[in-house]
Amino acid sequence: MDQIAYRWYILFPNHHQGLQLNRELRKANIRNQISPTPREASSCCGISLIVEPDDLDRIGKIIEEYGISIDKIVKLPVKTDWQYRGI
Amino acid sequence: MADYRQMWTDLGMDLEKHDVLCEVLPDAFGGVFLSQQNRPAGMDFYDFVVSEIHGVRPAELIEHRQKGGKVFGTFCVYVPDEVVFAAGGIAAGLCGGSQFWVSGGEKVLPVNTCPLIKASVGARLDKTCPFFMIADMFVGETTCDGKKKAWEILSKEVPLHVIDVPQMKRDKDIAAFESEIKDFIKVVEGVTGNQVTPEKLGEAIKLINNKRRALQRLYNARKASPVPISGKDALLVTQIAFYDDPARCAQMANRLAEELEERISRGEGVFPADAPRIMISGTPMAIPNWKLHHIVETAGAAVVVEESCTGTRYFEHLVDESGQTIDEQVRALAERYMQTNCACFTPNPGRIEDIIRMADEYKVDGVIDVNLQFCNLYSTESYLVKNTLAEHNIPIMHIETDYSEQDYEQLRTRIEAFLEMVRK
Ligand code: SF4
Ligand code: SF4
Repeated sequence: MDQIAYRWYILFPNHHQGLQLNRELRKANIRNQISPTPREASSCCGISLIVEPDDLDRIGKIIEEYGISIDKIVKLPVKTDWQYRGI
Repeated sequence: MADYRQMWTDLGMDLEKHDVLCEVLPDAFGGVFLSQQNRPAGMDFYDFVVSEIHGVRPAELIEHRQKGGKVFGTFCVYVPDEVVFAAGGIAAGLCGGSQFWVSGGEKVLPVNTCPLIKASVGARLDKTCPFFMIADMFVGETTCDGKKKAWEILSKEVPLHVIDVPQMKRDKDIAAFESEIKDFIKVVEGVTGNQVTPEKLGEAIKLINNKRRALQRLYNARKASPVPISGKDALLVTQIAFYDDPARCAQMANRLAEELEERISRGEGVFPADAPRIMISGTPMAIPNWKLHHIVETAGAAVVVEESCTGTRYFEHLVDESGQTIDEQVRALAERYMQTNCACFTPNPGRIEDIIRMADEYKVDGVIDVNLQFCNLYSTESYLVKNTLAEHNIPIMHIETDYSEQDYEQLRTRIEAFLEMVRK
């Protein structure tokens, strides 16, 4: 049984693409959350979008429709053990 | 992915050290912010700024410099940004809020210096913050002893101008501050090569006032019950306001406030209407210091207002816009800035009056008066805050803390006990 919860991150070549997809998804009422890109997904920091796996098909269509370029989509386990630390 | 490494190398940054910071940011931001429910859509912009925290805004500042513009780094809300913008410069608040920078500061400062000062010095000496590397000039002030001495150390690194902020608020002190602003105008004119004309200063006064109005509007929305935005999110807005472009800051804060006003009309909030409403008063919380808000809000209470420089002290009071001459405008600036109530003044009854007034305005159930470790001014003033609030039957607790997670569990226990008492 798969007990681990996952998050799906969309990564972009630059922030303009990320912001554009964020706007289009908002307009289409598709849940998405701007997030700093986790290290596990890429060694470069910068914006990525967390989306729901059920929406990936619709999101794919929007990406195509608006010609938004993305780097990749990464699935990462949700960290449930995060403890506050001073950064 | 956006790759800012070339830009950071060109700025002379220590990429290896900086990388450690980049590595922890996503998890911390996820843990503190993205774990919240029902965040306003207007937070998208601020989440974006944090996601690109050492990329997008630094790149804008570098572009400004490439066109011949100058950047001034500031560390206190008494520094009149209006003067810098009037001369075509950009002012950016640089206060260090990261534990990551503290050890760099401790290499040159006494360990018993407040973490804000240690982090600010460490960020520059360790070369791990692009903003500290971009600034053409740092602007210090004579507010507290720790800062006064830190300027002498930082001035070996970057040209530094110190504004003499009075320690009392008599008429002659306001007049003295007026003359300090005039000296500052000359310094800024010298660095930028641009003259501060009455037209330009008038425009800059309006620009910064508009930013203040937008932030005031946002904070007004926090007076509603249930509260439509978390304290963490509101704090993030104020923290980013310190270095964002002022016009964009106003635009984004207004947009967010509009969304919050819609939430209020629907009776929609991010905490239940009966959740305790907490004011945090005291020393500033520079980005990315989100510790106390995280403790309070994960314990089920809402932070509804900050009486601090990363809160109301930043945007309360507007500068009179009617001045036609430099003399009139500078007088208006001095009068506005000297209304700010920092513990570096003696006596400072205005701050406690502000706390009592805002406790009523924001329908606060309890006040957490906090000071950064080794901040003698706010720590001493906490005695008066505590006594006066007790006289007004406002529940209050005092906390002294730093940026680290060392005292996290201990603070959580104390705050939970306080909230328990407030709930009764
Ligand atoms: S607490 Fe006082 S010294 Fe510190 S930023 Fe605010 S006004 Fe300046
Ligand atoms: S928190 Fe206190 S000690 Fe630290 S910089 Fe501000 S006034 Fe100075």
